[in-house]
Amino acid sequence: MAVLEARDLTLAYEARTVVEGLDVAVPDGRVTVIVGPNACGKSTLLRALGRLLKPVRGAVLLDGEELARIPTKRVAQRLGLLPQSPTAPEGISVADLVARGRQPHQSWWQQWSAEDEAAVAEALERTSTAELAERSVDELSGGQRQRAWIAMALAQGTDILLLDEPTTYLDIAHQVEVLDLVRRLNVERGRTVVAVLHDLNQAARYADHLVAMRDGRIVAQGAPGDVVTAELVREVFGLESVVVPDPVTGTPLVVPGAPWAVAVDA
Amino acid sequence: MSSALSLKGYTVLRAGRASFLIHRRSAAVALGLLVALAAAVVASLCLGESTVSPVEVVKVVLGQPSPHELVVGEFRLPRVVVGLLAGTALGTAGALIQTVARNPLASPDVVGVTWGATATVVGLMAYGVVGSTGQAPYAAVAGGLAAGLLVYALAWRRGLHAQRFVLIGIGISVALSSLTSVFLTKGDGFQAQAAKVWMTGSLNGSGYDQAGWLAWVLLAAVPVALWAARAQRSISFDDATAVGLGLRLDRIRLGMALLGTVLASCAAGAAGPVDFVALMAPQIALRLARSAQIPLLCSALTGALVVVPADLVARRLLAPTELPVGVVTGLVGAPYLMWLLIRSRRGGS
Repeated sequence: MAVLEARDLTLAYEARTVVEGLDVAVPDGRVTVIVGPNACGKSTLLRALGRLLKPVRGAVLLDGEELARIPTKRVAQRLGLLPQSPTAPEGISVADLVARGRQPHQSWWQQWSAEDEAAVAEALERTSTAELAERSVDELSGGQRQRAWIAMALAQGTDILLLDEPTTYLDIAHQVEVLDLVRRLNVERGRTVVAVLHDLNQAARYADHLVAMRDGRIVAQGAPGDVVTAELVREVFGLESVVVPDPVTGTPLVVPGAPWAVAVDA
Repeated sequence: MSSALSLKGYTVLRAGRASFLIHRRSAAVALGLLVALAAAVVASLCLGESTVSPVEVVKVVLGQPSPHELVVGEFRLPRVVVGLLAGTALGTAGALIQTVARNPLASPDVVGVTWGATATVVGLMAYGVVGSTGQAPYAAVAGGLAAGLLVYALAWRRGLHAQRFVLIGIGISVALSSLTSVFLTKGDGFQAQAAKVWMTGSLNGSGYDQAGWLAWVLLAAVPVALWAARAQRSISFDDATAVGLGLRLDRIRLGMALLGTVLASCAAGAAGPVDFVALMAPQIALRLARSAQIPLLCSALTGALVVVPADLVARRLLAPTELPVGVVTGLVGAPYLMWLLIRSRRGGS
């Protein structure tokens, strides 16, 4: 049994049902990436896995226990999450931001233990943000800022990490940098990662387990090499494409059909 | 690997398994405010129709025999104590409500609490149900709490959302202020005049009756405030991040909002609706302490430090006529807040 799973999950905002009767098990110690078109419910599913949204029906289970019944602080010791566009208090320094990731391990009389200090120092080191520690988060570049947020989630010391589109608003070099970092954390620290990604090719490159969603349902899941095919891309995104092996990694590379052009008589 | 990490601006105190993280500048500012407040209290006790030396004032406060016991101990001290407590309550209430609303313009005056107290007292006074000295404080507390609860009930929608809370608060405030005007025009002329004086927030004739229960309320608020101060470290993030850090967001927001409402209502009960203090004090404290979140203790002390000198000015400016303190709080605090704002803009941030 997986540590984190969802059973018969139905999620809704107000009266609008977004996800219906969904079952998913997150493989332990692997990188799971959820993909799908806009409004397919992928971020909603991630929010429910992170207890930000209460299921209308069904449940998310952490170690077999219903997530909604576990005290939120205890959940925070097991499961860290990074929302799509997090906001930090104005003027806060990187070190202070990362230090606040330790909140679930603290109490009014244990505000800054030696373990807290070690965990924060390590998180800064692993994300190469140690040299930025005294800088204000407001003045960082997009890539640096995202690394600082990941450092905060890392300092939280959870074995599961949920990332909601961690590469949005980043240029391609920083996207690769962030995803490489996530991959490294998974390999070196055995962290379970669940990420929502927009880019299907990046998903195929970085995922061990790919979950493809459409209209609040899972269309296919499994290893990217098995799942990503031209048929799947058509079914999920409604896009004609050719799938070829990625020249660098060998993972599936989706090449969309020819761009629109004025027909030329041969 | 885990090299020692220094958190800039913080001092760590450790003893056994206990450890405390202290924001140095906040602590220094709190100490400074405390000293300034002590000076303001002594000055308020010294100055008046007759000037009493600080040495004599300290003697009276410490309970030693002095020829000035009547003037300082009986006339001036109760009024200063009520001002001190009301200012503390207002500063804390403002800090809590601004934190919940994530908005520097939110304060008990804006989100309906103060107007709830005002409308209730003015209504009851204008129609002669209560006199200004008797049950007015109780009416104010009840009215403030009722208005606050109404705002939360209307704003609650699977949680307390910051924007909904502020907008509904403003709506209720406007409705209650209109109602207050109706009471003032329709009510008995003489009584309505007394209600008008109460409305500006006045410490004239304040005694230990008010100080006693206000002190108890503040004392009872301390543990809740400590709990709130811990939560403030994560509540100043966006909602998702705060929940991710293990914060019970709905509970903490409701707790903070309720405590703020209780404190603001009680302050209004003791001194009337003293304007601007709850709005200004947290913003002044935030800029002095330069902390990432509104500092509760510094806000409380700043609140007191606005009210106590303001009342001294109110007492002496047109002596022997004593002005209501609410007329002066804006005059004392607003220029200072503006100065801080202008200075921080020049600082380039």
